[in-house]
Amino acid sequence: MAASTATIGRRPGPRWASAARRVAGGFAVPLGSVVFAFLVGGLIVAVTGGNPFAAYQGLLCGGLGIACSTTTGENPALQISTTIVFFTPLLMTGIAVALPFRAGLFNIGAEGQLLAGSVACTIIGIKFSNLPAPILLPMVLLGGTLAGAVWAGVPGVLKATIGAHEVVTTIMLNYIAQWLVRFLIVGGPLQAANGFSASSPIGAGAYLPLFLPNDNSLIIFGLPAGVYRVHTGLLIGLAALVIFAILLWRTSLGYEIRAVGQSPRAARYGGINVARTIIVTMLIAGAFSGLAGAIQIAGVDHNLTDKYFNDTTGFDAIAVALLGLGSAVGILFASILFGALHAGGSVMQADAGISSSLVQILQALILFSIAANFLRVLRLPVFGQRPSAPAPTAPAAALMTEAAKAPPVET
Amino acid sequence: MGHSRLKFLGMVGLALMLLAACGSSPAPASKTFKIGLVTDIGGLNDKSFNHLADVGLEKAKTDFKIQGDVVESKSGDDYVPNLTNFASKKYDLVIGVGFLMQTAVGTVSGQFPNVNFAIIDGAGTDKDFNDLKHPNVESLFFKEQDAGAMVGALAGLLEKGGKSKKPGHVISAVGGISIPPVNHYIAGYKWAATMEDPGIKVLVGYSNDFTDPAKCKNVAANQIASKSDILFQVAGGCGLGVLQAAGQAGVYSIGVDADQKDADPSVIASALKKVDVATYTAIQNVVNGKFQGGALTFSIANDGAGYAIDNLTVPADIQTALDDLKAKIKAGTLTPPADIPA
Repeated sequence: MAASTATIGRRPGPRWASAARRVAGGFAVPLGSVVFAFLVGGLIVAVTGGNPFAAYQGLLCGGLGIACSTTTGENPALQISTTIVFFTPLLMTGIAVALPFRAGLFNIGAEGQLLAGSVACTIIGIKFSNLPAPILLPMVLLGGTLAGAVWAGVPGVLKATIGAHEVVTTIMLNYIAQWLVRFLIVGGPLQAANGFSASSPIGAGAYLPLFLPNDNSLIIFGLPAGVYRVHTGLLIGLAALVIFAILLWRTSLGYEIRAVGQSPRAARYGGINVARTIIVTMLIAGAFSGLAGAIQIAGVDHNLTDKYFNDTTGFDAIAVALLGLGSAVGILFASILFGALHAGGSVMQADAGISSSLVQILQALILFSIAANFLRVLRLPVFGQRPSAPAPTAPAAALMTEAAKAPPVET
Repeated sequence: MGHSRLKFLGMVGLALMLLAACGSSPAPASKTFKIGLVTDIGGLNDKSFNHLADVGLEKAKTDFKIQGDVVESKSGDDYVPNLTNFASKKYDLVIGVGFLMQTAVGTVSGQFPNVNFAIIDGAGTDKDFNDLKHPNVESLFFKEQDAGAMVGALAGLLEKGGKSKKPGHVISAVGGISIPPVNHYIAGYKWAATMEDPGIKVLVGYSNDFTDPAKCKNVAANQIASKSDILFQVAGGCGLGVLQAAGQAGVYSIGVDADQKDADPSVIASALKKVDVATYTAIQNVVNGKFQGGALTFSIANDGAGYAIDNLTVPADIQTALDDLKAKIKAGTLTPPADIPA
């Protein structure tokens, strides 16, 4: 930050300085909106008679395992592991929203695609439950990935062929997926024979390995090892981010996606098959989301339960993609933030007595300030960016094209 | 990966410090019991289960020397972490509200055999919902059919006496999801209504949801169209839509679990599952050193189930009949069925 402000007014500085300036400029808006959200959130807590410092201490402790009060006895390692479990699916669903953004498409259907992936993973995991892990685990993950791709491919094809708006079709497919899950486990073919709304567990071979053994006699950090639920889906999620970044910036398909996002007409004039690009983009996006759904089943739940009726991972992903400005690094940080907020909310309520609904307020405030785009000013004078930013149209659309822009090239 | 492992390692020191701090604190003369309550996704303001569990906890706070902490679950993902959080802090009793938490309680109670758990409406189970019978889990069950029978009898008597809104002898129930606790209510309701008014027709529908009022409103509208004029909601937060639909159509409705008198003017009565009594009893057991694993059943007989008359003036003869039925159930001469009669 200091380096970047110091270079204002000078002739173009060394390479690293411009890079630093670019990074600082890129972080300004998301960081600003998070700070804004926490300030307003603190105000809300204070006005309603709570102690904002105690609230945020609880959030920090519950989310990141730091600054824990010594009197409440939180276990930081447990909190960090919970946060990781929560943010793992956001990595992939975040990509599922961010990638179509780059192509100028709003994928509101990450949730439906995730559910499709969960359903496919569950069905395969139950039907072939006797297969050994080296065969079954890739099968369930691949099955979930394909199901998600199909679920997103439908809106992609509709958009590319008859121009049906992807926002409408993806939202509708969310409902179809949610009701499909209900149908399947409430009196449907997947319901286990016990009267509860849940499927049978998938075969043990389909379980994603945990980092720590699920062994309650093994004590780690003062607690039985089974309480740390971090699973290898985390590695898959991080790999997905790398693949996403390479795809977007180092492949011709990524170039085509960005070109279509900036101007479909210009892209078509440039010889890009826009319809094909739209379909492929949606297929890939859905694949990531479906993979997230499969990982939730294979890594955390091990069966399809009624919790998926109210799952919001795919909707949180929209916020994650927006806050992360559609970049791989941004999605990583935004996912960690949202995972930490999710995990921290409970600790905040238990220790500070502040309703964990504050977390939803914070998330909404972050989204609001990003969508309203009023923190745009942060980028212009302070960080020495050219003041000729594109005229704001619809705010989110402006953000989209802004994020879709290639890094500015110094002349 | 490397990053997270570094974080983990960094936290070891902190964890050790915390442990050291815990170890050095002197034992107080009379112990303050720590009670943790975890709501299900309905949240504290569900005017039902979670609310009642909190009422029970608050009452226990005034009667005993306890520290009671509440955490609301925002999604099904939260059950295990929320229960684990209290257990890891060595609470004396961790209460899970609702059968949705069965597998979570089963998992966490296995990891913390020295922490006592209680669960409303369920047991600590494995993924197949088999009771693991952990000795540190107390299951707080209800005979919902007792409460269902009381409001069913009221509905039957109103229909028989022509005191309902329409002369059709048709009443109905809207269930959330077809699971045992829901069906127990409906079983008692249908059984008692048929007993009081043999010509009655009892419609039963399910919304497949416990949270979205719009979905229950749809089911209710269909039943009203089929001439039902007393609707019993057995669907938690979703069921508020039933009460509204009845109010808008000018027919009667019956609330569930908690007294839902204020939810809508159409509510004539509520079938009560006294979760507050159950929660209080579980806490009392821990404080008195009488906690034991296994099932505790709450029914009309031990005042853990019942009914409330709401926005209706009940004719004396009907009230007499209700009191008579309640006494018979209490004495065991009449037993409402657990399964919905054909």
